[in-house]
Amino acid sequence: MKSSKALFLEVGGILAAVVTALICGFVVILLTSSEPFTAISALLLDPLSSTFNIGTILNKAVPLILTGLALSVVFQSGVFSMGAEGQLYIGAFVGALAAIYLPAMSPWIHFPLVIVCALLGGALFGMIPGVLKAYLNANEIVTTLMLNFVAILTTSYFVNNQLKAASGGGYAKMENISKDLLLPKIFPGMAAHAGIIIAVVAVIVVYLLMYKTSIGYELRLVGKNGHFARYGGIATRKVIVVSVMISGALAGLAGIVEVLGIHGTFKENFSASLGFDGIIIALLARNHPVGVLIAALFYAYIQVGAQTMQFGSDMPREVAVIIQVMLVLLVSAQAIFTYIKQRYARSGQKAVK
Amino acid sequence: MPILLEMKNIHKVYPNGTAANRGVDLTVHEGEIHALVGENGAGKSTLMKILFGLEAPTDGTIEYKGQTVTFDGPRDAIKQGMGMVHQHFMLAPSLTVSENIVLGDEPKKGVFSLFRDRAKEFQEVEHLISTYGLKVNMQAKVESIPVGQKQRVEILKVLYRGAKLIILDEPTAVLTPQETDELFDSIKALVSQGHTIIFITHKLREVMQISNRITVLRAGKSIATLLTQETNQEEISRLMVGRDVLFRVDKIPAEPKDVVLSVRDLGALDDKGALALKGVSFSIRGGEVLGIAGVEGNGQTELVEVITGLRKATSGEVRYQNKDLLAASVAEIRRMKVGHVPEDRQTAGASLTSSIAENLILDHYRNPDFKWGPFINKKKVKQFAKIMMETFDVRAQNEETMAGALSGGNLQKVVVARELSKNPLLLIASQPTRGVDIGAIEFIHREIIKRRDGGAAVMVVSAELSEVMALSDRIIVLYDGEIVALLDNTPDLTEQEIGYYMLGIKKQEQEATR
Repeated sequence: MKSSKALFLEVGGILAAVVTALICGFVVILLTSSEPFTAISALLLDPLSSTFNIGTILNKAVPLILTGLALSVVFQSGVFSMGAEGQLYIGAFVGALAAIYLPAMSPWIHFPLVIVCALLGGALFGMIPGVLKAYLNANEIVTTLMLNFVAILTTSYFVNNQLKAASGGGYAKMENISKDLLLPKIFPGMAAHAGIIIAVVAVIVVYLLMYKTSIGYELRLVGKNGHFARYGGIATRKVIVVSVMISGALAGLAGIVEVLGIHGTFKENFSASLGFDGIIIALLARNHPVGVLIAALFYAYIQVGAQTMQFGSDMPREVAVIIQVMLVLLVSAQAIFTYIKQRYARSGQKAVK
Repeated sequence: MPILLEMKNIHKVYPNGTAANRGVDLTVHEGEIHALVGENGAGKSTLMKILFGLEAPTDGTIEYKGQTVTFDGPRDAIKQGMGMVHQHFMLAPSLTVSENIVLGDEPKKGVFSLFRDRAKEFQEVEHLISTYGLKVNMQAKVESIPVGQKQRVEILKVLYRGAKLIILDEPTAVLTPQETDELFDSIKALVSQGHTIIFITHKLREVMQISNRITVLRAGKSIATLLTQETNQEEISRLMVGRDVLFRVDKIPAEPKDVVLSVRDLGALDDKGALALKGVSFSIRGGEVLGIAGVEGNGQTELVEVITGLRKATSGEVRYQNKDLLAASVAEIRRMKVGHVPEDRQTAGASLTSSIAENLILDHYRNPDFKWGPFINKKKVKQFAKIMMETFDVRAQNEETMAGALSGGNLQKVVVARELSKNPLLLIASQPTRGVDIGAIEFIHREIIKRRDGGAAVMVVSAELSEVMALSDRIIVLYDGEIVALLDNTPDLTEQEIGYYMLGIKKQEQEATR
């Protein structure tokens, strides 16, 4: 709920960061490529050149949207969780177990059950740092980063030992999940799977939750001003735990959708830092669900662009990494800047008599 | 007297379009005490920031000692012999008094002046202290000295830097009546030694007491410059507000009813774990206002927090309507019709980055009347906020305006609106008008008395003794976590009398305070 002018400034700032990051990428291309304009056009235009590429963009955006949402929820409650990566693994792991080992039943019952298991797995794993933060005042950055290792290495242990598929051909992964449970393509022949529908629904649900319900009101209030929330009788500790659990559930959903949509089963190290990319998405989006949708699509676009550029020119895909890193720098610098401005405005206000 | 400073037609428009100064003229004579008065947002602070080089004026000229000057920063202003004592002390608590005074400009000695010359430092500070009679122990750490002395350190700091023109920004806001008298003695001593003082305040009584001339600002313009001996409080306030102002709170005698709140032997710790309340006992009846006087930091904050459920008590009991408040949560207490205007509206009283509407629905967002299925009914919220803003005269664009964009007075009206809208049976108002302009003070005081007359029990905690005396029917004085006096607010009760209790010089027998 901001004035249109403030919103305009904010969006303008983010766009400026995006454009600057792109320009930095172009400069690198201009300096190193023998065919810079081919490379740039391959980066910017080729992702839209085929339905296959568009489908890939959507597929890459799906987990980013979900982890971005996960982090935007905790960030709004003032908790700086880094735990989406671990929660994603636990969610995917528990969901995959439910998909593979539950007795045979109709997919109409089985599929929702798998999703619920993933949501619960992520939420309960998220609850650990939430409780530690709320009741023991443990720093959530430290605990969530540590718990990421616990999640990744524990699941890795199981898929390397007890749960390893015999047919895996040496890869550490579980048995394949039944075809009935995998996410279908949206249109036959297109690369995009139905995960994008789940992601868009999640955006709508999170938006309603954060801005239209009592829980969202409490959550945002705790993040904006914990003193005020406590003064108003809001159980701030419970709210913090709930927010980390919601975040964990969304991260878990990201994990299971990735498993059901792309990999077909739980594989060791399948995420490759989707949970951390979610942090950047949430920062870019200024924690707004609709912003998350746009930011994730953009981020996926650049990743696909990097691939098409690698095919279509002499530039390696790592240029995309440069653009991403520049984005992180610029966006977090902006966030810090706003923070300082706010602090300054607040202290200034007190001095005005 | 020759003219020392002349600010002509000063304009200041901030980048966001706020016009803080819209043509201010200020002429200060050498050796005078010049009071600068005006409501919040009248442009006093901006004007002084411009003078001190912290802000550049959009238009206008400054002539100092007959020459046109432009300051690029406070450094330039200090070099020219100006000094500013800020309202919020800018001292390093862990350093000693003399270290604070010389900080940033220490006497040096040795090769390349690499070493501090402590002997010279002590000598110079000692000299300053004795010249101006600003008594303070220069070896003491700043954190261990009382507020009045901290202020002296601030003044010594600017004198050390050679200030001839000293700007005092609301210097008495944190002082007891006795400390204020001492400050005024120091100011007079400074003037007799050839210094010039600009005194910013909103306390008109002090203006009349100390100043030679007065410049009144209103809405960014200088309205008038008056000779103190030719004017009176009524005229100044009329000029400040632009209309007649009631100084006294109009109220009929209280009609106390049954006891609403009773506190027995209450003990509590402060944030550092030290005993902040040492067995406090009192009661408030419906239909009366109990004032809590005391220098800030003598247990008032803890007392209010314990009653409202924000802090745990270590001993004693708090009964409200025959219910044990110590066992209730903050949310439960709020639902029991206890209204609480917290002392710091910026941190506890409001969420500055939320809209006015979001601030107003703090007690209602779970109320089924405000819901539509699982969702908050935006229409209802809007309607409610609109009515509240109208009733309590909150001036803002609309209910979606960020609370942080409001002036102090308007923000406080939002807080008061929220707390009064639930028709409290017990209203606890901490510093209800701190930093609020005169118009809003009048309004808030009237609302508080209205609740009292409606039968509510009211507890007013304020650092402004005049406010406690204006509102209360009975007054208790807190000193070092204890109630040292219980006084009936009769017309012959004086601020001086309360001041003795506040400083711990006088103390009633414990029986008398019950």
